[in-house]
Amino acid sequence: MLNSVDRLQRMKKICLVSITLVFLSISIALAQTLKVSGRIVDSENGEGLAGATVLEEGTNNGTIADGDGYFNLAILNQNAELSISFIGYLTKVEKIGNRSLINFSLDLNIEELSEIVVIGYGSIRKSDLTGAVSSVKSEELVKIPASNPLQALQGKVAGVQVNNFSGEPGAAPTVRIRGVGTFNNNNPVYVVDGVILDDIGFINSNDIQSLEVLKDASATAIYGSRGANGVILITTKRGAKGQLTPIVTVSSEISMQSLQKKIELLDGNKFSEIVNILTPGTYNNLDALPSTDWQDVLFTKSPIQSYQVSVAGATNKSQYYFSVAYFKQDGIIPHSSFGRISIRVNNDYQISKRIKLGHNLSFVPTKSQSTNGGAPFNVYRAQPNIAPYTLLGAFSEVPGVGNVLADLEYTNSFSKGLQLVGNFFLEVALNKAFHFRTSYGPNISYTQDKGYTPAYYVSATQNNAIDDVRRRYAWSQGWLFENTINFNKNWDKHRIDALVGFTTQDNSNEFISGSGQNLLRSNENFWYLTQNNLVASSISNGIYDDNNYYSMVSYLGRVNYVYDNKYLFTATFRRDGSSKFLDANKWGSFPSLAVGWNLINESFMKSLSVFSNAKIRASWGIVGNEKIPYQEAYSTISDGTNAIFGPNEQQFVGQSFGKLGNPDLKWESTKTLDFGFEWGLLRDKLVGEIDYFRKNTYDILVALQVPGYYGNSGGSVFYNAGEVRNKGWEMTTSWTDQIGDFQYKIQGNYTHLTNSTQKVSGTGGSDDALYAFFNGYTVTKTTPGVPIGSFYGYQTAGIFQNIEQINNTPHLATTQPGDLIFVDSDGDGKINTADFVNLGSPIPTHMYGLSASASYMGLDLSVDFQGQGGNKIYNLKEIVRPALYNFEAHVANYWTGEGTTNIEPRPTAGGPNFSPSDRFIYKGDFIRLRNVALSYTLPAALSAKIGTPKTRIFVSATNVFTLSEFPGYSPEVANGGAIFNGIDTSVYPVATVYSGGINVTFK
Amino acid sequence: MNNTMKVLLIFILLVSSCDDLLEKPLQNSLTQASFPISASDALAAINACYYVFRESGYHTGMYPIDDIMSDDARKGSNPDDAASTIGPFDTFEFAATNGSFSNWWNTLYTGIKRTNVVINLVQDIEMDQTLKAQYIAEAQFIRAQLYFDAVRAWGGVPLILTTTPTVGVVRSTLEQVYDQIELDLLDAIPNLPLKAEISLNEQGRITKGAAQGLLGKSYLYQKRYGEALAELKKVITSGQYGLEPDFDDANGINGEFGVESVFEVGAVDGLLEGIENGTNFYANVQGVRGTPNRGWGFNRPTLDLINSFETGDPRLESTVLYVGEVIDEITISGDGLTPDETRDSNNNLIEVECYNQKVWTPGTIVAPTQGHNRRVMRYADVLLLAAEAANETSDIAQALIYVNQVRLRAREGNNDVLPDITTMGQEALRGVIMNERRHELALEGHRFWDLVRTDLAGSILGPFGFASGTHELMPIPQIEIDLTQGSLIQNNGY
Repeated sequence: MLNSVDRLQRMKKICLVSITLVFLSISIALAQTLKVSGRIVDSENGEGLAGATVLEEGTNNGTIADGDGYFNLAILNQNAELSISFIGYLTKVEKIGNRSLINFSLDLNIEELSEIVVIGYGSIRKSDLTGAVSSVKSEELVKIPASNPLQALQGKVAGVQVNNFSGEPGAAPTVRIRGVGTFNNNNPVYVVDGVILDDIGFINSNDIQSLEVLKDASATAIYGSRGANGVILITTKRGAKGQLTPIVTVSSEISMQSLQKKIELLDGNKFSEIVNILTPGTYNNLDALPSTDWQDVLFTKSPIQSYQVSVAGATNKSQYYFSVAYFKQDGIIPHSSFGRISIRVNNDYQISKRIKLGHNLSFVPTKSQSTNGGAPFNVYRAQPNIAPYTLLGAFSEVPGVGNVLADLEYTNSFSKGLQLVGNFFLEVALNKAFHFRTSYGPNISYTQDKGYTPAYYVSATQNNAIDDVRRRYAWSQGWLFENTINFNKNWDKHRIDALVGFTTQDNSNEFISGSGQNLLRSNENFWYLTQNNLVASSISNGIYDDNNYYSMVSYLGRVNYVYDNKYLFTATFRRDGSSKFLDANKWGSFPSLAVGWNLINESFMKSLSVFSNAKIRASWGIVGNEKIPYQEAYSTISDGTNAIFGPNEQQFVGQSFGKLGNPDLKWESTKTLDFGFEWGLLRDKLVGEIDYFRKNTYDILVALQVPGYYGNSGGSVFYNAGEVRNKGWEMTTSWTDQIGDFQYKIQGNYTHLTNSTQKVSGTGGSDDALYAFFNGYTVTKTTPGVPIGSFYGYQTAGIFQNIEQINNTPHLATTQPGDLIFVDSDGDGKINTADFVNLGSPIPTHMYGLSASASYMGLDLSVDFQGQGGNKIYNLKEIVRPALYNFEAHVANYWTGEGTTNIEPRPTAGGPNFSPSDRFIYKGDFIRLRNVALSYTLPAALSAKIGTPKTRIFVSATNVFTLSEFPGYSPEVANGGAIFNGIDTSVYPVATVYSGGINVTFK
Repeated sequence: MNNTMKVLLIFILLVSSCDDLLEKPLQNSLTQASFPISASDALAAINACYYVFRESGYHTGMYPIDDIMSDDARKGSNPDDAASTIGPFDTFEFAATNGSFSNWWNTLYTGIKRTNVVINLVQDIEMDQTLKAQYIAEAQFIRAQLYFDAVRAWGGVPLILTTTPTVGVVRSTLEQVYDQIELDLLDAIPNLPLKAEISLNEQGRITKGAAQGLLGKSYLYQKRYGEALAELKKVITSGQYGLEPDFDDANGINGEFGVESVFEVGAVDGLLEGIENGTNFYANVQGVRGTPNRGWGFNRPTLDLINSFETGDPRLESTVLYVGEVIDEITISGDGLTPDETRDSNNNLIEVECYNQKVWTPGTIVAPTQGHNRRVMRYADVLLLAAEAANETSDIAQALIYVNQVRLRAREGNNDVLPDITTMGQEALRGVIMNERRHELALEGHRFWDLVRTDLAGSILGPFGFASGTHELMPIPQIEIDLTQGSLIQNNGY
């Protein structure tokens, strides 16, 4: 439990930072001497540009043009230059000289006006794009107070399912782009400023300039064997050219988290009543028993703090971006927290007219504490008629699960990490058409874990006789070396943008762990595996369990050809060589072709003035997934297959052929088809796009049993055998308009998805299915014709009301009146696991997001809803009952005799009524108010007076409510594994979060 | 050359200089491509062949289903335990999907693979020629033993003699499998040492006598009695073997690697469970269930077996461990969920709670029963096989000598019981030898196969459900039929 001293110190820290912010916001007073005035106009139409910025170079001295583009500025230095900038226009810098009246005309920045989309190894005008790419703006990413930027993607992008299934501080959400394509790793690949990564937990959301989701093969084929699960591109912020005055942003946000909802469990009285039915006479006076809601005992309210300072700007020959952020989340379960400092430096240096050098560097130390992972399951099961403490103040004994408070008290698990991700690059403009770029991107991370369990005694089943200490060190390092040449040429009506590249990559990681017992000194400073502090013989170290070494060499190329801004053509190709695969399969090729037609630029459309955009596009391609257990390619030697000889029973070392590998292993492939239509109506007030997609994934790695005569001990060998199809359509649309000063936007997205397994082993025999087990039960069966990970169990048909009914119906041996009726689905007159049937799919068939935002006079309000449905949830945590545990509240409506209920069986501690059956399956549909945010930006005039161009204060609420029939903490249940998905085995609940903060920008 | 060209050239150079980057050898794990390559590898490879005999699957797929199928034993344990998996072996209602068959089949072929590694790959290693020949001979024996187990259970099975089997293999004929067993054993015998030539520390390694014994036994199974007798006589006249004076020691801890041991599987009798600690699960499956907790209590002796012993045969007491009996100062209380007596619907006693005493491990602080050394072949078996072969070749006198040697030891000095068999006809002696095998070798996994090979199974086991023409052979595991997509043909009747 959070003690009051902790809480106090936490509050002190929060105050300190807040005070610092106030000081920072006091601006520098300026001495003023000379005056310059003038007007700023659009170079094409001569209209005044209201709000354009005028700055004296090298100072903070500046002003903003009035409603007609006029300005007045007192300058400090007559030799200074004035910089004039306005959004959508190219910045202009001029010497003042001895002029007191200067007029400026600014040119439109064409590139900025036509929306630019970042794609793999480059960027492209949105109108030239032939692939399915969704962009998420930076302001969307900072709305949700979370360590991981992906949390903000939830409900925001069509075709992308983001589930935050764990509320543990620092936990990463699961991301699925256009369905679940494999029985293995379904995670997309992340590309951060060109560095290819598997995890982006180190990124501070505030540093992100843009985030793009690449969905179809036209977009992902450039990532070849890593493109099949989709690609998420992240571009971090840089200083803008010509931004000679640094922009300093300071922000601070404090949030409070609390449990979204409680699971309805029996109270002490009702539970005792049921125990008295199970074992008559257990409790004599039910009213004298305590009633404890263990959820109240465990969960607490806890804060998130987030502070950040960034400076962005430029000098004549360089641009810079520097940021420091601190994020700290305390969990709603005590003794769990995640803290992170992120430091980022992104600089560009123009060495000469043709040569540019630069780097993106991030340095991210983290620190976390984990609580006992079983705590939520513990409170779900703990008997409620026991008080947490005994009368003497000791932890009370809780049968079966132990006392959760003691678990928390005696679990000491800390982790420290450091991650360094960077990219150093050199760009050379060879001539007007050719650009060469080379980059080297290292990614180094290191973590060390430390755990200690003291000697303690709560009860015979909850104790630790000898204290122990555990250590684990893991490191991983990788680098990516990329070289590309870009060719860019426009002539007549032709536009070509082509790219060739050569890249190499190397990754390695290892860990070592060890443990020891019986510490002489048990305080935290002695949690080391030092011989003289613990029983030396208890040290088991050198556990060198895991290592991973692989490298890749790739060739890539892409041609974008546009004719007359109407006809678009893209061809992409990547050839990947990977050390993961043995000889014959070292190299793979991944092609893609796409076409597009900008209908809007055809003369027949121009007459339809209602349309402001219309484009159709189609793409085809093959992409791969190389995130497979590649060590399975090797046939290895068994260890420990020893012989015992002689009366002394001595072991004689034996080694021989052991596990069989499959040297023919290769990546999984996905053939993708995409048709898209984009539209804009009423001068782009109503815009949107709709895509139909079909993804056929084949060569999916499946562990299949081999014939016994192979001598593989009944073990399985991985084969590229499975096939899965995902198809569906997705739509995004938005309406933007303004009524006077009132601006508003409504946008929505919808995805419909059908997932179906086509092949598992392909033999059609008894092995043509993949099962997942839990505690000895088969809980999912993946077989041709059903979605991956479909639930599996008995179908129920009500309750046996009397003995005659039992005698006339197939039943399990120990069945009594009041027990569940299981359907004899194979009709053999017996109830056994052969009667298990498909009980539904864990994969949602539809997902949607709906958001509305409005702004008026500096007030901004946004509301985001999000939901999914068509899937089922398996409440497996209710099934496994080896001992007497608390029950969910519905058990109180139990059968008490013939005709009383046909739903809730008679009370039993476990047994057949708790066999896997549809009794534990729930609809997964939900709709959630994901986020509401209200902010107020101080009027420019007021800001100017106190010296800050922009001050914004805001409050927001996240996960406000969720409508769902599922009785668990959250209907987002995604354990991650494809064949063990949507199964609630108890999770760290995701919290409701209320936040408030301030954001100040100095210019 | 302009700058553009220079940069393009550098680019092309980069592209062409990264070939060995893709070579990443597997770390911390030896692959089959680099084993065995040295004398120490060869030794490790042959040692690994012995491991199979300690694997639970070697023992007819973990449970002693062969004895349970015979008239000597019932499933055992409590009525519910493994009722749906092992229960059907009492009544011949098992199916090809029964897990015992696939466990057993997989274990035998895993062992066969390890022997193929030695036989095929040790040949090319530069090392001491005598040792090399011995290792290969040991592997040949083990391969023969595993194929003998397989052919006895399933008839003609796929004959795998390489380390790299491929798909599409079909079943060889029963004759082809026996021919291979003969070939392997004949090849091995000259290169195997006599039992006395093996150091005490390495007792348990395959001997010449073991190979000759197995060869004789396999001839006998093929009804090639003359050859069987000749081969078994070699074991008898080798001077390497005899009978333990105390019948208990023939399987017990005091007779480990003793004079009666022809082929014995060593196991560590320690406090640690688990095959990695050198144990064998064989006895644990059959050990006393409940109190003392020595195992799972399968393979319960039948009343029929108990009643069949000749009056006063001391071997009965050494074979059956009753509830209430005190052994090594421990009272056998048995299992709470197992009825002491089981009666049928007519109130006839059909089963009493009792256990297989031959796997009893003496001592008061033995935790698991996993240190028992299983005797795959012992000298009494050799004598009785020889007696049978002699009788079938009409050498009644020789047969009587062998049978009476076994009875002499069995009576343990009490001349009032188990009198010597005196002259009788071949047919009568056939019955006597069969009975002697039943009592001498009870619950050691022989009875069922003896009944099948002597064509008595139909008449004796018929009442339990044995169907002649089907149950002489076990079903090929269904998963094997599925996995080979039908290239393995199922046995008749399954």
